[in-house]
Amino acid sequence: MIAGKTWREVRMVALAYLIILEMLLIPVLTLWPEIYADLQRSTLFRSLGVDWIKRLGSGISNRNEEIAYLNWCAVMLFFRSANLVGTAAAVLIGTGLFARERESNTFEFLLARPVSRSSLLWQKFWPSALVVTLPIFIVNATAIPWSWTLELDLPKWELFLASLHAAIFALAIFCLTMLVSILVRVQAHVAAIVGAFVIVQIGMYLTQRIRPYSLFRLVDFDWYAPIMSGNKPAWKMFDPFRSYGYSTYLLLGAVLLYFLSWRALRRTEP
Amino acid sequence: MTETAVAPQTVLKIQRLSKSYDQREVLRGIDLEVAKGQLLGLVGPNGAGKTTMLRCLVGLVQRSSGDVNILGCDPSADSLAIRRRTCYLPGETGVYQQMTGDRFLKFALGFYPRQDHDLKERLLEHFALPLKKKVRSYSAGMKQKLALVATLAPDVDLYLLDEPDRALDASVRYFLRDVLRSMKDQGKTILLSSHHLSEVESLADRLVFLLDGQFVSAARLARAREALRHQPRIRLCPGAQLPAGAKLVREELDGMLVVSTATDPMRWLQTLPEGTVESAEIGIDRLEDLYQLLLQDQGDER
Repeated sequence: MIAGKTWREVRMVALAYLIILEMLLIPVLTLWPEIYADLQRSTLFRSLGVDWIKRLGSGISNRNEEIAYLNWCAVMLFFRSANLVGTAAAVLIGTGLFARERESNTFEFLLARPVSRSSLLWQKFWPSALVVTLPIFIVNATAIPWSWTLELDLPKWELFLASLHAAIFALAIFCLTMLVSILVRVQAHVAAIVGAFVIVQIGMYLTQRIRPYSLFRLVDFDWYAPIMSGNKPAWKMFDPFRSYGYSTYLLLGAVLLYFLSWRALRRTEP
Repeated sequence: MTETAVAPQTVLKIQRLSKSYDQREVLRGIDLEVAKGQLLGLVGPNGAGKTTMLRCLVGLVQRSSGDVNILGCDPSADSLAIRRRTCYLPGETGVYQQMTGDRFLKFALGFYPRQDHDLKERLLEHFALPLKKKVRSYSAGMKQKLALVATLAPDVDLYLLDEPDRALDASVRYFLRDVLRSMKDQGKTILLSSHHLSEVESLADRLVFLLDGQFVSAARLARAREALRHQPRIRLCPGAQLPAGAKLVREELDGMLVVSTATDPMRWLQTLPEGTVESAEIGIDRLEDLYQLLLQDQGDER
């Protein structure tokens, strides 16, 4: 019942999010031939002093167009769309989950219903989590037929693995927002806190010296390019004992944040 | 916290219930027992601890100390079992603005397996709510009526109502009184918190007065009400002076004077010459004045 209510609350955001992701996909793929041709002529990327931009530039201007295209998708489909837009969607959906109930005086009404707090959390969580993650898989799957128009192929399994990693990242951000939404009473404050956190993380990512400490380091070109090219199979992505097994850590982070949300909700008073 | 012995007909038993927020004590060791089929009126000023007490009973707020047994369960340990058998109307009207009235009722009543369909129909018929419209278009009174249907329609053992008459006009309040009376006659147990002393008094089997986190004794309440009976509100005729035999307590914003009379206020009024007092109110329990007198009495006792 609460799950149904949650779905009705987020379905329009879900639709908007899906449309935005799909719309972002279209120009990225249709413009590829021109961009690739330009990159072949330009040496701008290679002349830049920043190491990661140089790597990115050489990746997407690779002489083998199929490899270059995979690298292009690693940046545009995942880092830009799934993770930056996905983060925005996770924050947007997560902020209202509990804080809006408090603001509209329905929190006490909800807590007084004969439903346990763990069930309340779960029924609010899973429809929202699906809305945050599912569009990433759907939209990236549609990139396969879009690529056929360019006579290029995207590997299905690798695309799925990269989408999985992107979805886990968005889920972790969503769980963080949910926790803050339980702890903080005003929706705008929740958005400000999580928004500030995300902006700081992006700022860290863009600053060469502290870049390795940014969360966005886990969802950038260096992360997705090996997955897309088939150099990082699933077992490697989820191997927690190797430095490339951060998908597991992101997932564990999401689980930990869910657990903290459950503890906070159990203790919270109207 | 120890196990509380409860008689089979006792729905609610509270012993030495206390609740503090940081250093502020909101409830100070209150005791209360409510039998099955009773309607208990809970009256008190804002901040007296009424809402906190009700929240403690349904387990929304954890008590600091004391024992609570409600329907055989302890709210600290088994609040879900309690919430399955109780219906709680929060003091602040909580209805989903984006839902239609119909959908809200379907949502709110869906949590309870049994409903009193006759009562639901009776309430809906009288309230005449536009159930097809979104709740956001409702007035405050309509929202409260919707919340009342959602609270009273489930068939449960105990109803905890925190100011159910909030935002309702007099005619609806009277209707609600009839509804609660008929529920009581059917053997349902109700705990009702309100600001309308005389209305609760006419309805409740028992009345408890909460002040500053403690129940006021019946004797102290009777004393304060007797003192209040000697404080009529009068409006003087234009140009008239306050007659002898009365002392001015205060002048109110509407121009009425609250005076204290040494003798019976009715007799005092009868002795006044014509053209002195334009109108007078005697014997009305003005809650704010009652609180003042009780607080004063508390100070005197200390």
